[in-house]
Amino acid sequence: MLRITGGRVYDPANGVDGVVKDVCIADGRIVPQVEGGRTIDATGLIVFPGGVDIHTHVAGAALNFARGLTPENMRRGLPFVHTKDLRAGLGGVTPTTFATGYLYAGMGWTTVNEAAVPILSARHTHEELHDTPIVDKSCLVLMANNEIVLDLLEAGEVERATHVVGWLIWAAKAYGVKAVNPGGVAAWKWGKDAKVLSGPIEGYSSLTPAAIIAGLAKIVDDLKLPHPLHLHCNNLGTPGNVSTTLETLKILEGHRAHLAHLQFHAYGGNDWGTIRSEAAVLAEYFNTHPNLTTDAGAMLFGDTVTITADGPLEHLLHQLSGRKWGNVDVENETGCGIVPHTYKPSKLVNAVQWAVGLELLLLINDPWRVFLTTDHPNGACFWRYPEIIRLLMDAEFRKEQIKALPPETLNRTALADIDRQYTLSEIAIISAAGPARALGLSQKGHLGVGADADVALYEEHPDSGILFEYPRYVIKGGDVVVEEGQLRNVSNGRQFLVHPAFDDQIEAYLRPLFQKVYTMSFDNYPVEIERLQEPDIKPCA
Amino acid sequence: MITLTLKEQPNVPLEAEMLSPDVMAALTNDEIRALPVYLGKRRRRLDDFFSVEGEKSDELAIHGDVVKVKWIGRGMTRGRITVASSVGMHLGAHMKGGSIDVSGNAADWAGAEMSGGVIRIRGNAGGQVGAAYRGSLSGMTDGTILIDGTAGLEVGMRMKRGIIAVGGLVRDFAGLQMKGGTLVLRSGAELRTGAWMVRGTIISLKPIKLLPTFSYASTYNPTFLRLYGRHLGALGFTLPYEDGDGAYQRYSGDACVPGKGEILVWKPPAT
Amino acid sequence: MGGKITCTLGEVKNRADFIVYWGGNPAECHPRHFTKYTLTQKGKFVPEGRKGRTMVLVDIRETLSAKAADIFLQIRPGMDFEILTILRALVKNQRVNAAAVAETGLTLEQLQDVVDRMKRAKFGVIFFGMGLSMTRGKHMNSAGVLSLAAELNEFTKFVCMPMRGHGNVTGSDMVLRWSTGYPFGVSLSRGYPRFNPGEFSTVDLIVRGDNDAALILGADPGATMPQPGIDHLARIPTIVLDPKVTHTSRLARVHITTAVTGVSAPGTAYRMDEIPLPLRPILASPYPTDEEVVRRIRQAVATKPAWAPATHVTTPFS
Repeated sequence: MLRITGGRVYDPANGVDGVVKDVCIADGRIVPQVEGGRTIDATGLIVFPGGVDIHTHVAGAALNFARGLTPENMRRGLPFVHTKDLRAGLGGVTPTTFATGYLYAGMGWTTVNEAAVPILSARHTHEELHDTPIVDKSCLVLMANNEIVLDLLEAGEVERATHVVGWLIWAAKAYGVKAVNPGGVAAWKWGKDAKVLSGPIEGYSSLTPAAIIAGLAKIVDDLKLPHPLHLHCNNLGTPGNVSTTLETLKILEGHRAHLAHLQFHAYGGNDWGTIRSEAAVLAEYFNTHPNLTTDAGAMLFGDTVTITADGPLEHLLHQLSGRKWGNVDVENETGCGIVPHTYKPSKLVNAVQWAVGLELLLLINDPWRVFLTTDHPNGACFWRYPEIIRLLMDAEFRKEQIKALPPETLNRTALADIDRQYTLSEIAIISAAGPARALGLSQKGHLGVGADADVALYEEHPDSGILFEYPRYVIKGGDVVVEEGQLRNVSNGRQFLVHPAFDDQIEAYLRPLFQKVYTMSFDNYPVEIERLQEPDIKPCA
Repeated sequence: MITLTLKEQPNVPLEAEMLSPDVMAALTNDEIRALPVYLGKRRRRLDDFFSVEGEKSDELAIHGDVVKVKWIGRGMTRGRITVASSVGMHLGAHMKGGSIDVSGNAADWAGAEMSGGVIRIRGNAGGQVGAAYRGSLSGMTDGTILIDGTAGLEVGMRMKRGIIAVGGLVRDFAGLQMKGGTLVLRSGAELRTGAWMVRGTIISLKPIKLLPTFSYASTYNPTFLRLYGRHLGALGFTLPYEDGDGAYQRYSGDACVPGKGEILVWKPPAT
Repeated sequence: MGGKITCTLGEVKNRADFIVYWGGNPAECHPRHFTKYTLTQKGKFVPEGRKGRTMVLVDIRETLSAKAADIFLQIRPGMDFEILTILRALVKNQRVNAAAVAETGLTLEQLQDVVDRMKRAKFGVIFFGMGLSMTRGKHMNSAGVLSLAAELNEFTKFVCMPMRGHGNVTGSDMVLRWSTGYPFGVSLSRGYPRFNPGEFSTVDLIVRGDNDAALILGADPGATMPQPGIDHLARIPTIVLDPKVTHTSRLARVHITTAVTGVSAPGTAYRMDEIPLPLRPILASPYPTDEEVVRRIRQAVATKPAWAPATHVTTPFS
């Protein structure tokens, strides 16, 4: 039992905006009051719901490939020293699993959504999530280049496709559906990409990316998954791709959808020389279309590594930058590419990208529909979120940063003219309440009675970057896991998943097909529920 | 002058990155004795293994067989270390300045990723001299490493700048993926010298086996060798560079990258 | 430079029309490779099966695998690195020294033919074995074949995959990578993971005598290590956990018989293409699992008096 008293509470989901009030916790949940137990004096502290990262890459085959590819990065990662309570690990650009849990919790983030899981290696993802302490987890399974599903969509067999997708989600023990570069990763198996939404995909006679997008959006809605289709649009990173994004959004009209890392999809211009921000255009669309949510995928200057299922993009990045390149094509399902990357403030392209992420966050009016992410590690590492918070809350500081960029940046972006400053309440929305709602996790992201007791307490500080960097206390499921800068009382998190309704008979359809094109026994394909640490099945309704 | 004399031979490697002029220059004798050294998983005191004389100096003399002591001179920027016997891995790794002189042998990774200073090894060195640690884009970016004896594998791997000069034979992959700098091999090398090199100069005073991806370019006496020859001559390394001393056959490669490196093989004058 | 282009085995089955085995003998060491994944399968895009594929075997001697090869390239021992370097140059239309080529045991024409075939392939794959990765050159031989495959992607789809050894070595690679950041050769003596092959890799470390105790699970270094290593293991306290009494057990202080994973103990095995497969035990065993034994050892160690840990962090950028 725990009482947090004297702190200024920010609980935007329940209309609490910086009010000094008690937060009471018992049995891992927020309760109206407690008798006895511990009291934390939160005078001078602000009280936030624990952060919810709706889009990150922290566990599974792609991450592990990246770790192995970059020992020079691992060597520079923050060392986590083994103690009685803590496992050894390394932070940095691709943290090890134990370090991932410690880094998130150390920042005040308590729920993490692994955004890209191949079904074929889902068992691996769950093993890594099992070794990611403290935070609660969910994962999204890759579907937009799944050849069995694509064949069904091409044949117009939407209903059968719905049952297949439902079966696949349950087989992977996932929480939702991820679509990456629809058709493009399948085309990459032939060395091509899918850059025209209405054009047939290489290897298919009539199937287009548009059809995949429309098909999956409908399937996800029909399966009544708590989180909408989570979509990484075609033409990520390409100058002028705003037109692809708008075309995609039109296809999605009438459906719920979540657009991933929108920063990478908001460019105008024709080539790298003329690239410009079109964040305003997308923001306008979001402001007038309430069916959509997005996460920023903001970029920060510095070293990182790009990890994405978008194989053709990574090949291009390798060709442009000359950095080392990793690629794995996953049979019948998806793939992944890896290229280390450095974003430099002296490069106009990077300056534009930096501005775009912030513009989206500042120009989309409703903080309930645009969330704080960096598409970790693609735009920047998740443990740099406090830097973005500062840029959002402090317009003067933000404008100061623009001065250090190439002067031409001013002609390509609108950021210098934006005066908006995020309030603490809005930060609580984009970092916790909003993503929780978009994920459909009703007990996350808020501090109302019945919510999971995930709470971050920060010391008030005029510099919001410093304020959010080191929480004084972090409480997860009612346990104090961070106190006075120390990680302690390390626990295991829960894993959220869904069991969509599908016809069991679909297995009879899948089994012979699977045996023909895959290379393992069909009975080994689904992940056993026992593999998940504390599974928590959420309803599809 | 601070003098350390080994009194207890460690049974497993001792990690002693504290043995550096930068660390010791301002310390009293008591403080030096209390410096941490790492015996496997255990932290110990320096004076568990060494007797310590002197204090507050950036000159450090190490006596005794310290072949199991690693990381001596790590990251140093100033001063001088002399080692009377043989020394362990990572000698002078990430060094920025100052000098290290070893009377005996050195183990692998001497001068790894250094950016300045001078390392002299009178005996033999191990592998990966002046090299990049695994995955790093570059090895040494400046500085001088002189080895009187032999050296092991991957000498100068991915070095970017600086000079490595080896008196005795070196093993495979000398100058592997070299990006710049100069590698002088007085007694030649085993196989695969200059493999996959991008830029840089390898000078061999003995005939060496070259990869099939190196092409003969010309025979000449390059002007820059006079500068290098005089510079290395002053440090005790003779390089023939006068016209009467013979000439160098220049091979360019490695075509598989394709790289713009060069290997100069000395051809003595016809008699 | 640097990188790894690969795929899961189903991609090979469904698409590969050009398959190279280099430094391995799959017919005897991976006996179901041809039939399950690479040659005889009718793939989704190679419906003709074997007829739609060309197999090249590169080895220093003619093994049983040569019977299955369309092209057998017998190379001189120790020349793999040179040949891979030549191939990389030929892919880029660069000049090579013809006299030096002859020393490899192959002709320039043969090598040019291989390059032309590779570029013409729709989907090429090179599988490489220990004949490449464990012979003179070692990791640079592996780097050679990985680089060659990566560079061929300028022309067509081309991948490269190691033929991993027995005992779920891939699994240990995966687990070490996600929990320490590194695939092998990891030291935790300073309290956090450090990686340096040659310094911390097993055989090198033991042969130098850098350790004063050893705990060995599911491996038999006493059978294969150089003699100084074997002598060292016999001298220090060595503990072996294994279902059977091994060469190492015979020189160890303690041998604990454990249940066979995959037969009596559950777990996960990772295939050579890093796909996880569940291991479902089918027979009961009177012996404890490796996991149970290690947990009990840990519990006992935890009761020992504390020592001053060597946890001063020494990163390159501190």
